[in-house]
Amino acid sequence: MDISRSTMDIAAACVTAAVGAVVCYGATLNGIAWGASGPEPGYFPFYVGCLIIIGSAGTIVQTLLRRNAAGHMPGHADADSFLDGGRLRTIVAFFLPIVAMVAVSAWLGLYVGMALYIFYALRIAAGFRTPTALLAALAVVAVNFVIFEKLFMVPLLKGPILEAFGIY
Amino acid sequence: MGNFGQLMDGFAVALTAHHLMIMVVGVLLGLVVGVLPGLGAPNGVSLLLPLTFTMDPISAIILLTSMYWGALFGGSTTSILFNIPGEPSSVATTFDGYPLAKQGQAARALTLAFTSAGIGALTGVLVITLLSGWVANFALRFGAAEYFAVYFMAFASFIGMSGGSPFKTLVSMMLGFAAATVGIDTISGEARLTFEFDELIGGISFLIAVIGLFGLGELLLTMEEGLKFEGVKARLDLRVIARTVAEVPRYWATLVRSALIGCWMGITPGGPTAASFMSYALGRRFSRRGRFFGKGEPEGIVAPETADHSAGSCALLPMLALGIPGSATAAVMMGGLMIWGLSPGPMLFTSQPDFVWGLIASMYMGNIIAVVLVLATVPLFAFILRAPFTVVGPLITVVCVIGAYTVANHMFDVWLALGFGLVGYVFKKLDYPLAPFVLAMVLGDKAEDAFRQAMLTSDGSPAIFFSNGLVATMMGLGLLLLCLPVIGLLLKGRSATTPKDGAAPAPEGRSA
Repeated sequence: MDISRSTMDIAAACVTAAVGAVVCYGATLNGIAWGASGPEPGYFPFYVGCLIIIGSAGTIVQTLLRRNAAGHMPGHADADSFLDGGRLRTIVAFFLPIVAMVAVSAWLGLYVGMALYIFYALRIAAGFRTPTALLAALAVVAVNFVIFEKLFMVPLLKGPILEAFGIY
Repeated sequence: MGNFGQLMDGFAVALTAHHLMIMVVGVLLGLVVGVLPGLGAPNGVSLLLPLTFTMDPISAIILLTSMYWGALFGGSTTSILFNIPGEPSSVATTFDGYPLAKQGQAARALTLAFTSAGIGALTGVLVITLLSGWVANFALRFGAAEYFAVYFMAFASFIGMSGGSPFKTLVSMMLGFAAATVGIDTISGEARLTFEFDELIGGISFLIAVIGLFGLGELLLTMEEGLKFEGVKARLDLRVIARTVAEVPRYWATLVRSALIGCWMGITPGGPTAASFMSYALGRRFSRRGRFFGKGEPEGIVAPETADHSAGSCALLPMLALGIPGSATAAVMMGGLMIWGLSPGPMLFTSQPDFVWGLIASMYMGNIIAVVLVLATVPLFAFILRAPFTVVGPLITVVCVIGAYTVANHMFDVWLALGFGLVGYVFKKLDYPLAPFVLAMVLGDKAEDAFRQAMLTSDGSPAIFFSNGLVATMMGLGLLLLCLPVIGLLLKGRSATTPKDGAAPAPEGRSA
């Protein structure tokens, strides 16, 4: 599975153009006209949205032009790869655990989330032995607890488990 | 020299034991941030910002600027020892720094880099000292139209001088503006672009965007590249350091040229990254030893380092005097100033002279402390970097997640940061510049307010932007900058498809 750079360029530009369209639509909800007391609140965002669409269109045209130009010289720009299967797997394997950590943190609190994540990352991804990974996870939690709760007095999300132990 | 007296007052503020300690802590934190790939200066300052809300503003800004200096210095360490730039702005340092280190002269390369960086930074601070009061006085006469013209010029220069695709710069910047408009409109009180999501009523914090775009995005990129640190051993010998410091004045021509480039690129929002590349390229062309560049030539280290640091410090001048940051990190700091209830801009010089001059004085001290500390900690960081990235990466991730949460204690922000992380990863790989996005997010409200106020006073006629000489000149310059890519295209004609004769190939997507 190979995603070429120009494909990705066009895909990204389509997404940004869609965002631009959403911004334009959202602006019309606030009124984009010139009211009695000057420009309505949607006036500025509407043109920002338009510029996003124009910029995205420009990127698409530029990419297509470059792709056509490269077509005459085989093995040039179009051969640029954005991502191949192996790299995609590396990225997903790194990113999914982070998503899982945030989901767990929203439910059981940040300390539980980060402990599980660090344990997973060291035990499975980095291949440390279980006791080492466990110790590192606890150390990370302890260090963060001291820094945020004690030194800077910034309370992090505790979640039901810590609260059951009387830590707020 | 009214500035001089005020600077002395500033030293009285900055030279307390408390503030000196803060500088040391800030520089050390900055070194960590600068050395570790995936943690950059804008991201590091964003992470630290929520923790400073309880401090008094002057201590807080000294902490943040010291961290900035540390990060600028730390980026060079990895460039030279590991051939891996810790910061986008130190990419050009790898071209000659790593070869020189490989020849067994790591200590000389490091000392050269830090000394010229220190000289560059001090030049920048000197420029700030001499010019900021004058610029602020000048800007006191500005009305809404003039302010919009200045913003317009800043944004136009990004599009005109970005070097990459102007369309991508435009999209990145306008997305930043759009993100800034989400939430309650300051003038009418209406909710904009929230689409009835309660979480969006409060707006999107630029800190979340920075943590996602620069932090998580960079981590994904680093992970994908599968970084391995295979470094050069560095043993720092005091005699070598002394000999190298004595050697630096010989490169005076390069120093002066690079410092000038850096100051210019820092004040106009070109930023340190562009400055270091430009200085390297010009050094190669104009230096008598230009043909040795790329093979471990000392001047090839001096040129980018001096420019990088003078640009980095000069970026704070427009932030303080005009309220327009010259780099992504300066934009984050400016957002911090606004959160502390200070409004950056010319009024700051009259309403808060202690704050402004204390900060400027602390820049002198902070940079000197940074040079000493960075030399002292090279062995330590070289040791830390031997830890595999599969261990360091998750730790940085945890820091970013916690950082996103502490901005406003919302889990929703953490999800947003993850989203921005993916966007940042894709944008960096596709060479979308990220600094305009952050700048637009911080300045969005102010630019819009200036625009709407100007339009109100003129009853909707855009002629107000050309109503007097000053504002017309600025708008004209802005329009000219906007047209630069078109002019460049016309001049270059067909040769545009061949690669430019720039410096050595830069890792793509690393410029921020």
